[in-house]
Amino acid sequence: MTSFRNISRRDFLKFCAGTASILGLSEAAVPRVAKALEGAARKPAVIWLEGQDCAGCTISFINSSHPGTAELVLDTISLRYHESLMAAAGHASEKALRDTIKEGGYVLIVEGSIPAEDPRFCQVGGVNFIDTVKEAAANAAAVIAIGACAAYGGIPGDCPTPGRGMGVGEAMEKGLVPRKPLINVPTCPVHPERMIGTIVYYLLYKKPPPMDKIGRPLVFYDKLIHDNCERRGHFDNGEFLTDWNSSEQRNWCMYLKGCKGPFTYSDCPKRRWSDGLNWCIGCSAVCQGCSEPEFYAGMSPLYDRTKEIRGYKVETIGAVATGVVAVGLAGHFIGQAMTGRLGKGGPPEEGGDN
Amino acid sequence: MGQRITVDPVTRIEGHLKIDVEIENGVVKDAWSSGTMARGFEALLTGKDPRDASYVTSRFCGVCFSVHQMASAACLDDAFGAQVPDGGRIMRNLLMGTEYLYDHIIHFYHLTALDYLDIMAIAGYSGNDAGLNAVKDKIVSLVKRGDTYPLTPRYEPDQWSVADPEIVTMAVAHYLEALKIQVTAKNMGAMLGGGRVPHYQGIVVGGVTQIPNAEQIGRFKSMLDEVVAFIKNVYMKDVLLLGGPGGPLFELAKLGVGGGHYNYLSYGAFPEDASGKNMYFKPGVVRNLNLNKVEAFDQAKVTESVKYAWYKEKAPVHPYDGEQIFDRDKAGAYTFVKAPRYDGMAFEVGPLARMIVEKNPTLLSLVEAGAKPGAVARHAARMIETVALADQMYVWLGQLIEAAGNPGFKIHDGDHWEVPESADGAGFYEAPRGALGHWIRIKGKKIENYQCVVPSTWNASPRDENDVRGQYEEALIGAPVPDPENPINIVRVIRSFDPCLACAIHIIDPGTNQIRKFRIG
Repeated sequence: MTSFRNISRRDFLKFCAGTASILGLSEAAVPRVAKALEGAARKPAVIWLEGQDCAGCTISFINSSHPGTAELVLDTISLRYHESLMAAAGHASEKALRDTIKEGGYVLIVEGSIPAEDPRFCQVGGVNFIDTVKEAAANAAAVIAIGACAAYGGIPGDCPTPGRGMGVGEAMEKGLVPRKPLINVPTCPVHPERMIGTIVYYLLYKKPPPMDKIGRPLVFYDKLIHDNCERRGHFDNGEFLTDWNSSEQRNWCMYLKGCKGPFTYSDCPKRRWSDGLNWCIGCSAVCQGCSEPEFYAGMSPLYDRTKEIRGYKVETIGAVATGVVAVGLAGHFIGQAMTGRLGKGGPPEEGGDN
Repeated sequence: MGQRITVDPVTRIEGHLKIDVEIENGVVKDAWSSGTMARGFEALLTGKDPRDASYVTSRFCGVCFSVHQMASAACLDDAFGAQVPDGGRIMRNLLMGTEYLYDHIIHFYHLTALDYLDIMAIAGYSGNDAGLNAVKDKIVSLVKRGDTYPLTPRYEPDQWSVADPEIVTMAVAHYLEALKIQVTAKNMGAMLGGGRVPHYQGIVVGGVTQIPNAEQIGRFKSMLDEVVAFIKNVYMKDVLLLGGPGGPLFELAKLGVGGGHYNYLSYGAFPEDASGKNMYFKPGVVRNLNLNKVEAFDQAKVTESVKYAWYKEKAPVHPYDGEQIFDRDKAGAYTFVKAPRYDGMAFEVGPLARMIVEKNPTLLSLVEAGAKPGAVARHAARMIETVALADQMYVWLGQLIEAAGNPGFKIHDGDHWEVPESADGAGFYEAPRGALGHWIRIKGKKIENYQCVVPSTWNASPRDENDVRGQYEEALIGAPVPDPENPINIVRVIRSFDPCLACAIHIIDPGTNQIRKFRIG
């Protein structure tokens, strides 16, 4: 056993197969994934910055089982800086960061938002977070914004305070951070598979995956939750959960409890969460739209039914008692209309490899 | 005047923390703890539907997410007058239990173990264990490739670092195993009703949202078996091997490095009946380590000082009377964290506080063997309560199975789902890292004010009006730092508290300069 990749060859191939499956690639693509990851003379460098975050995306990242976190962190990437995971602290950690920035060509992952109004509301190592993002983005090959906060501002984005949080994209638009290829991988927190899939896709193809107009990889975010929900049949039948104690209603549609599935793009219904064991709607806890830029403020009140978000209406749903069929049609219409806003994003290219 | 050194960022914690210390004659003479990031959760809750609070406050922290959802739901239960049915209470206990199981495992293996191990000792492993040899090969190959991130750079090992190749290799193998078992522990909660982790979805005012089915309960049991086996066969043994009597870290335990004020506070958690008064983790207050007198906790005695925090000057008040106006330019201030005090005194919260308040016999036996409260004792207390909780999870699971078979099984109080016109509420719980309180005032069916005092606000607090240090600051006093270039004992002490800074800094006024006054409930 000479090369470290040979030590756990079987695990490594499992890792590649897991990643291929996340990306919607067929088994036939596994050798290509393996070759691309093994081909690099050095493990690709990754800098992971945390700003106005809760570490939820980090905690979600280490939930990954197939592929496993240890394989990713030790065998696949060279994780140069990550506040929550690295052994170093203080000056040693800052030196690792600056050395890697100097080297250039790394993938920059950002977790958490950036204070928009007063940069002093997030400082690490005595430096305003915005300045670190600016410096790190300048020499990065690409930037991946993970979680609702880094992508679109998330919950801190709604703060009427000096620290209001903005996403990386907004910072680039405002010229506060150099423009680089940016991939948004939202939800609160990030889904570990979508995140690892995005990293590995980038390492494979050296370019961002096909994305929608707001920078989300289409392979994960091209479908409306409502159109693919396991409870959709109950919606079409006008069967709505009103009592969480009722075993009859336990799988009924939760639109009346505030479900934002009709306004939310993601493959949650298919991918689910926590190794596929459950998801928000699966536990009758309603979708809160965390993959959308409007999350959180635009989705509130979370537990009241929402009739309209950014022009898309669910007008007829309120009239369930009188028009079950109309309800279904209305829901379908919404899906079509929202898909339309993706414009020329088109279907996945490499993602359609299978 | 000693030498001043700064550790910023303190890594392997949740959030952004800076520690400044003054060193004289090789020991810490003075210390300052600074939280360096703020977001503003409570401000954005103002004017929102109160039911949003349990969802949004879960996002205070991605590590102890569910306990915020829980404390918030308890606070809303109080305000709405909701009576959580037994089924909902037991489900909540089980969901909270899984949080402890995963959180304490991560803290020990992934956030702090590297402070006590000389990882590079692995190269010297000469045993025959195939699994350990695979771990050795993996690490050695990383060294050969010249890419040992994120294991290096690091502080250099010192006299207390464990360098025995056998122990270190085993510990790193357990580090990798723990990465997998913590996923199982989290998945248990996601499956049984959390929906996903982190950030549970399934705890709301009045109870929980998911009726568990037989398959889920059965699977929960088998996953619990797997996690409990790891806790008892691996985690417990590793902590005792390293920090128990005769272990390489027991000397550090006997020195009591990282002691602090020796005042301990627990709110209590895991209600065992509908009254909420009978808790599995007992509430209580212990001052100056006087175990002969465990006082009852009285929330009216909680105050917060902002003298050294970046908020507009104001005398210490109860959280209900908190005025929160930022002043980032305030002279003398050095943190976003306020300084909570109980009856005017600084207190420690967390596993050590809980086990001291309960006078846990296993912890007391370590004390009798010579261990003093401090960094090592905190790791021991965390393990002790994890083992106890693991057993208790089976009791609650049995109660759930029994209750779920009852035709009147209920998980939610639907009669109190609608928002009251106006109400006050308070909710208290114990997060894995300590005492957590949420307060709400509802007016016109909207949130008028939302307040939290969280574990890391207690522990990471700055000095107060009387210049009394916070718990991190006090705990650092006397810590040996023979080499200022290698202040490893500073991070050992701080990480032993399991800091969670994003939780600690969440309070911002919406900018109206409105002074919100509340009566103490």
